[in-house]
Amino acid sequence: MGGAGEHYVIIGNGVAGNRAAEVLRDGDPEARVTIVSDESQPFYYRHLLRDLVTGAVGEDRLGVRPLSWWSDRRIRLRLGQRVQRIDFGAKTIYLAHREKLGYTRLVVCAGSKPRVPETLWASRAHLTVMKTIEDARALRDRFGDVRHVLIAGGDMVSVRTAAAFLLAGRKVTFLVDRDAFWPIEPGPEQRAELAAALRSRGAEVIEDDAVVAVEPVGDARVVALKSGRTVRCDVAGAFFGLVPDIDFLAGSGLDLERGVLVDEHLRTSVEGVWAAGDCAQVYNPDLRNWWVSVGWGNAERLGEVAARNVLGDAVRATGPAESVLRCDGVVVATRWWVDLP
Amino acid sequence: MRSDAAPTGMVVRICGAAGDGNIAAGQVLNRAVTRMGFRVMNFDSYPAEIRGFGKSVAHTRFEVERVWTPGDGCDCLVALDDAHSISETARLRDGAIVIYDDRPPDWHEEDRSVAGFVVPGMHGYGVPLRDLSTLATKGTKARNLVAMGALAGLVRLPADPFREAIRGQFGSKSEEIREGNVRAFDLGWRHATERLKKRDRFDFGLAAPVVERVGKAEILSGNEAAARGCLDAGLLMYAGYPITPATKILEVLAKKLPKAGGVVVQTEDEISAIAHAVGAGWAGTRAATATSGPGLSLMVEMLNLAVMAEVPVVVIDSQRGGPSTGLPTRTEQSDFRLAAHGASGDSPRPVLAPADVAECHALTFKAFEVADAFQTPVLVLLDFFLSNRIEDVSGLAEAAARFGTYAEKRATAGEGGYRRYALTDDGVSPRAVPGTEGLFHPATGLEHDERGFPSYDGPNHVRMSDKRHRKMAALAARWPEPEAVGAEGPLDLGVVSWGSTIGAATEAMRALAARGLAVAGVFPRLIWPVQERPLRALSERSRVLAVVEMNHGGQYADEVERVVGRRVLRVARIGADPIGAAEIAEALVGARKEPGDSTAETAETAETAERNGTGGGQEHGT
Repeated sequence: MGGAGEHYVIIGNGVAGNRAAEVLRDGDPEARVTIVSDESQPFYYRHLLRDLVTGAVGEDRLGVRPLSWWSDRRIRLRLGQRVQRIDFGAKTIYLAHREKLGYTRLVVCAGSKPRVPETLWASRAHLTVMKTIEDARALRDRFGDVRHVLIAGGDMVSVRTAAAFLLAGRKVTFLVDRDAFWPIEPGPEQRAELAAALRSRGAEVIEDDAVVAVEPVGDARVVALKSGRTVRCDVAGAFFGLVPDIDFLAGSGLDLERGVLVDEHLRTSVEGVWAAGDCAQVYNPDLRNWWVSVGWGNAERLGEVAARNVLGDAVRATGPAESVLRCDGVVVATRWWVDLP
Repeated sequence: MRSDAAPTGMVVRICGAAGDGNIAAGQVLNRAVTRMGFRVMNFDSYPAEIRGFGKSVAHTRFEVERVWTPGDGCDCLVALDDAHSISETARLRDGAIVIYDDRPPDWHEEDRSVAGFVVPGMHGYGVPLRDLSTLATKGTKARNLVAMGALAGLVRLPADPFREAIRGQFGSKSEEIREGNVRAFDLGWRHATERLKKRDRFDFGLAAPVVERVGKAEILSGNEAAARGCLDAGLLMYAGYPITPATKILEVLAKKLPKAGGVVVQTEDEISAIAHAVGAGWAGTRAATATSGPGLSLMVEMLNLAVMAEVPVVVIDSQRGGPSTGLPTRTEQSDFRLAAHGASGDSPRPVLAPADVAECHALTFKAFEVADAFQTPVLVLLDFFLSNRIEDVSGLAEAAARFGTYAEKRATAGEGGYRRYALTDDGVSPRAVPGTEGLFHPATGLEHDERGFPSYDGPNHVRMSDKRHRKMAALAARWPEPEAVGAEGPLDLGVVSWGSTIGAATEAMRALAARGLAVAGVFPRLIWPVQERPLRALSERSRVLAVVEMNHGGQYADEVERVVGRRVLRVARIGADPIGAAEIAEALVGARKEPGDSTAETAETAETAERNGTGGGQEHGT
């Protein structure tokens, strides 16, 4: 197994995918290794996106590695190339620009995407999300004209984003949605601590209410709340957490639930295909249940486990090492999206 | 209104298979940006074979300021054919744009899609070129114009000049075709502005630059400008045999010369072509032919006849890769020796070399004056790059004046004892055309005496040879000397170049000057006879004297070394593409020490060495 005839393809340009690529290259120097991602930006620090928006950092600070890192390791980056579908029988990936890409072994590290509750789908076009560098660039380019930001939801990103915007002198209205705070689920005390922390920095915090609609008025947004109140702002941010970004796998034959179902060795239901990172739903044979994880460290660890197993090891993925995260000074336990109704 | 942050220009390459419409799209782009006021240089490359074979590229550079070269690298690749365009991605600069068809009729196999080669730092934009073309015209042929619409919309160039350019380009077609093409452009524009998420840095703000010009701008190729120069000079007889890259001159004159009262003859070969022209010139008519290297080889004996019989005639040689049939669609400057010296016996004749499209007009125009004034064949050296590149030009009539004026010395009737080849101080004898009453005389390829009668007398041969060479000295004395451009005083580098390479050498000098080097250049347009004083003056100021040209080893460098009496740095290479400014600058900056110094750094670049085989910066001793 392995060698010059092998072509490892990793779908995903995040920490799991890049760690998998690194391990595969180290373990099989002769094989082809390719990373495919619809994002055009090479591996970058997502946690700095909020600072990119406010101008606290430039794009030059975002990159995790220089481009030479990949070229030196002969890891081909196919960025800005969206996977449309996969024919697992033919071991062929169909890219959206109509190119077929063959593989011998595949690791899916597709990550996650912002979740917008179904009740707000009609308003989706008027909501701002911030998951990718494209999202951040779009907001950065108009940030100078932004005076008032409404943040609805309350996931981990939202709290830190609110803090950054407050630091940049913007008015922030933080609407704590009961449906939010994924992947973390703070209890009532923790939620109160977070609200107090935000208020102490100058944010208006609205609790026990929910967004029902968002309408554009010129460049502004008018947010209608369940209570009947409306809030006029420049940006209406949707921060309701993340969900696995696996739409392209629907109907492919791969077993999916909320994520890609994998065994404890991160093998999917299809021979020669593994999954890791935020998009993987990992079976625990002891618990007879699936678990998921979130966070840089967990994703990196899963990417490594998947790659080692691709290379022939039989490493078992254990539960998330980082089940507790700190959010603006408040310690919260992560539950990710497993408890979604 | 253009913002200060707007880019000053860009380099666009439109690539496809021959017949895909790349060249037509490039022409539309050229017309449009010229209408906007940009300065333009276009240079297309295509295979020697007829349409449907091989790769074809329309290359356009437009800038707010004067454009000297096609530019190094590429800012935007428009891929009309993926297979051919993949190799083009190697030219793309950081931040470049790639526009490709993201709805091809068939799926590409792995690594057969140009989109797969868009690497980090570039920006790929998928546009359904065929689908939109079909929507606009019920066919896929207009996908080139969909792509132009997408390009214009993406980088925010004004749309109206494109629409006008399309209507102008397809003016002879039916309204249905014309407007269908405009619709195709509009659909591309709309797709870019409404569907594409712009990520690149090119934004011209939908505004045209403010550019000062003399007269109204038009876009011409070097060949078209040369043909115009012929017409403006009063050409009445043109004979030619088709050959790449000179054929366009024949085509233009075939259309226009008869309307001006002249005659065009397409002959059976090049020997016949120049024979026609020499005959017409002998008869007192302004006459010309145009060819390329293989044709010029065949013309040498008739050139000799014109030298010996002192017949005015203009021969345009558009050089291409050689020897023999060589590389018909690739550029080179390797006919200098043939043009200046290729002959049996001593056969002196002037050689002019334009630097750009406007000079193709000016120097062709001036070649007729020189031919008449000095009773000699005059060669004008173009090359594939210069013949085919398109530039915006204006003020053509004024431009020729800077190369001086030359009056013909005619004999008047009734002088008696007419000496057609009278020995004079400048070697120029009063000329009578055949049939002039009282001035009958023989004209022959044999050596002759002053009256034209054959003479094999040794001292007479010396006198007549001296006379023919004195004409060249007189021309060198009267032709305006090239002024040194660049820094004054002592120089780190002196640069000499000729013909189409002058532009790249000029850009390279500017780049080096910006890096703090004292650089100046002398760029002769009269390349033979050599005007020695400006070269010697430059040499005396220069620590290193370099000669930049596109041939193997440096043909003109031999002349310069002979004149300045020292070794020069030869930045000479051959290859498929015109030598670029960056390549020249790299070669020059690597040669800061005196050539011949054993510690001198080589001027050879990896690229030149690879292309040249023997290295691009070799130093030859005299």
